Amino acid sequence: MATRVDPNFMQSLEKFGVKDWKGCFHCGNCTASCPLIEEEYQFPRKVIRQAQMGLKDRLESNIDLWMCYFCGDCTKTCPREANPCELMRSIRRYQISAYDWTGLSKKFFTSQKWELSFFFGIAILILILFAIFLPPSPELWTNPTRFINEQGGVMINNMVDGISGEKFLYIIHYGDWIMAFVAGGLLITNILHMFYLTLWRDKSVQIPFYAYFTQLWKLIYHFATQPKLRKCDDKLYWLGHMVFMTGYTIMFVLIVGMLPRFQIEEVVPWYNWQRILGYYATIGIIVFLIPVVIGRFRKNKCKLKYSHFTDWHFIIMLILTTISGILIHIFRLAGMPVATYFSYVIHLAILVPMIMIEVPFSKWSHLAYRPFAIYIAALKKAVVKKKQPEQVPVFA
Amino acid sequence: MSENDLTGIFFYHPGNGHVSNLDFEELIQFSGTFKHVAVVWDSEKFPLWDKKNLESEIRKFNLNRLVIAGYDTGMIKPFFAMVFSTLGIPVENILLADFMEHGALDKSYTDLAKAIVVCGIYNVPFEDAAKPGESDVCPDTLVIGGGIAGIEASLEIANGNQKVYLVEKTGTIGGHMAMFDKTFPTLDCAACILTPKMVDVGQHPKIDLMTYSEVKSIEGHPGCYKVKILKKARRVDLSKCIGCGTCSEKCPGKTYSEFDQGTTLRTAIYRPFPQAVPNKYLIDAESCRYVQGEKCGVCVKVCPVPDCINLDAKDEEVEITIGNIIVATGFKVFDAKRAAQFGYGKYPNVLTSLEFERLINAAGPTGGNITYRNKDKKGNWVFTTGADVPDSVAIIHCIGSRDENYNAYCSKVCCMYSLKLAHLVKEKLPEAEVYEHYIDMRAFGKGYEEFYERIRNEGIHIIRGRTATVKSINGGLIIRSEDIESGRLLDQKVEMVILAVGMEPTDDARSLAGMLGIEVDKYGWMSGINNISDSVNTRSGGVAIAGTCQGPKDIPDTVVQASAAASRVLQNIIKGKASNGISSLSFSDIEKRAKELSTIKEI
Repeated sequence: MATRVDPNFMQSLEKFGVKDWKGCFHCGNCTASCPLIEEEYQFPRKVIRQAQMGLKDRLESNIDLWMCYFCGDCTKTCPREANPCELMRSIRRYQISAYDWTGLSKKFFTSQKWELSFFFGIAILILILFAIFLPPSPELWTNPTRFINEQGGVMINNMVDGISGEKFLYIIHYGDWIMAFVAGGLLITNILHMFYLTLWRDKSVQIPFYAYFTQLWKLIYHFATQPKLRKCDDKLYWLGHMVFMTGYTIMFVLIVGMLPRFQIEEVVPWYNWQRILGYYATIGIIVFLIPVVIGRFRKNKCKLKYSHFTDWHFIIMLILTTISGILIHIFRLAGMPVATYFSYVIHLAILVPMIMIEVPFSKWSHLAYRPFAIYIAALKKAVVKKKQPEQVPVFA
Repeated sequence: MSENDLTGIFFYHPGNGHVSNLDFEELIQFSGTFKHVAVVWDSEKFPLWDKKNLESEIRKFNLNRLVIAGYDTGMIKPFFAMVFSTLGIPVENILLADFMEHGALDKSYTDLAKAIVVCGIYNVPFEDAAKPGESDVCPDTLVIGGGIAGIEASLEIANGNQKVYLVEKTGTIGGHMAMFDKTFPTLDCAACILTPKMVDVGQHPKIDLMTYSEVKSIEGHPGCYKVKILKKARRVDLSKCIGCGTCSEKCPGKTYSEFDQGTTLRTAIYRPFPQAVPNKYLIDAESCRYVQGEKCGVCVKVCPVPDCINLDAKDEEVEITIGNIIVATGFKVFDAKRAAQFGYGKYPNVLTSLEFERLINAAGPTGGNITYRNKDKKGNWVFTTGADVPDSVAIIHCIGSRDENYNAYCSKVCCMYSLKLAHLVKEKLPEAEVYEHYIDMRAFGKGYEEFYERIRNEGIHIIRGRTATVKSINGGLIIRSEDIESGRLLDQKVEMVILAVGMEPTDDARSLAGMLGIEVDKYGWMSGINNISDSVNTRSGGVAIAGTCQGPKDIPDTVVQASAAASRVLQNIIKGKASNGISSLSFSDIEKRAKELSTIKEI
């Protein structure tokens, strides 16, 4: 494959957050100072080189980038203050947009307008759907006691006239499924695209079929425990991220997988599994979010120093979702049906667009891309070179 | 004023990577006040880089003359010249007013920058307008610093039969060059070149050598400076000491030797090195037991010359009157402890290059054998003969140079001396593996590239890629770097690491420069009037700079610059007049003179 140098490519990366891309003079300090580096994959220098040269193909097929967890050791000693850590973050954003076949991801990363319009579009759609199909019962205001059960809590599924509690629950449940299938479907196709770009596009190699199964444990292991993040210096960050990740996963399973058993009418005592899991998830998300927000303002760590607008969008959406979720719970326990209804609607109007933007198109997709990248890297190790047609020597 | 004298000014200050700390807004406003200036352009605001656009603009304002003011103005002149010639205007009417060339580097030089622009506007060369006056000059000369630059300059002037005062801070002249073993690229012995010159200085009837002395204050005006010199108490009478060394043998006070870069110990009464000039002893107050208040005085008892050692001697101050000054204060090496990732100060066998120079020197602590650093009986880490010999040595380039965290500049000599050290290691230990880790190999001088080729063929592993960390595992050192040419990650086990530390301005360079009115760049290197065509004369009259106090440079360049400085001084002495220096001129002086000289008449 001929190599085409495109010196203007780096400028197009500026919208993804690259600030100074001229600084690097390729001394190799960053690669050698990285605690995660291994013989098979190397970054950041190689990645920076590919970006500086505008080798789009190689950059898209570069799986090494995903092994970086942005500890910032490279930036600390970089002799050119070229900020390899920030470059890596920005190029990761570019890669996410390259994996996305719809092109929406690129729009979201490079234009704040696009992301905000998409967000508000879906949010308004949710509000309209509620207004038309699940409007609040007028008796919420006139006769609030009708919606309170024996334990004193709001009966959350019975706030719409003419729709039984069970029916309401299943409408939301199937709505959640639709959301999950659309977001998940997009994510899965993007992952397949990632496989194509990084692995299948190169026709000269063949991956033995059994490797897909023998290496599968890596995918699960790395998804569940993030052992590479633990290798970076900051162990507390790993712990926080772990709590956050498990909390989020639990919440996701509770809401998408088993809503009929999670969002029940009666107010169960605090030690019931629904409430314990719910509290764990909420606390897990908050415990991680607060230091992250503080860190992004203080800019003391590489991970948090260089905030792209999509980082802030994600954090704000997540905070709003969490707050509205907590409010539902409080209003419900306090027996305030009107507040419960509206906080519930607002919660969904933020949650759904957040999932739709973040999971397939934006930052949050790293939850899938990262373990898959490790999986692909493992597959690459098992690669078998296809036999090349014999080359005729030109100069005998 | 005829219509033909309408002038346009183009301010060129590309933002990225250039020095443009000047207040261009103010300059633009200022230059707009002249009557025959039709238009002022700012390179950042007006898209002139289109020929047609520029042509129409020039026509619109009916310009006949253009001044390009800013940095690197010569680079963009061809573009304007092209447009001028298509319009039929003589290309000579494009004038350059370069701030860099005349030393207007930052905000504090706004007046100078204005003067440069005014000269452009009046079509007068800056050098003609900014001609400082002259004063009678006193024939004696002060040279500050006794390294190779100071030695060379002193000898040149003294050989011209003029009186020179050479002031040196330490107990001997010779400076850093005396510490080196060999010089690159010819691998001549450094001492063989230097020591004859040192002896010449010591014996020259026209040179008044003041070692262990410092310049305290400078007063007066160009042509006649009154300089107060602090002669620190040497405690040994220079005229009586015979240099026998009996005192040093018995002295109980011990400390790390400065001359040997702390690789070995010396006594409190010491001679810096055997070829020192003056070849006499001196007492270091900090390590002398008597001076520190303990009961001692052994040296006085054993000294064979009566009244030679006076332990209670006090510092003295002398005042001299001189007409010219040459500053040759040299450099200090980068403190490798600041770059903690390389483990200097933590692991005994991580050395700076200057320490290694001493180690490998035949007059060094081990007689030129390369050995490990060991703890002696009293717990001091020193090099001694008979210790184990390393079988692999890594040399890491660019420590403290080309690094935004410390010094962004290139120290110029490290690549070459590293290659030299690699050669010397290979010469002394043919079995040893030697690795060089570099970022870019800068072999810039005559015979240097050939030297690099020669070293490459000697079986030394020259690896492109800066080392990131040095760690200690099981007594050995592990260095981690990326081999950029093959794209591999390298973890190498070596037994000794040499850090090629860069040059830094000396600690007191700034205060001395302030005393003398020499300008200093942001790192602390002194600057001449202009870095390209006059790096020797300074803005102060009768003050010249030479050697590494002006910026990192190797020995040949230093010697050449020292000779240049001496020639400026001799020029002044022979003429009997010294320039008052640009700093004696005010902006209005230059403006007035430019108006007088100008052919452009105002309305």
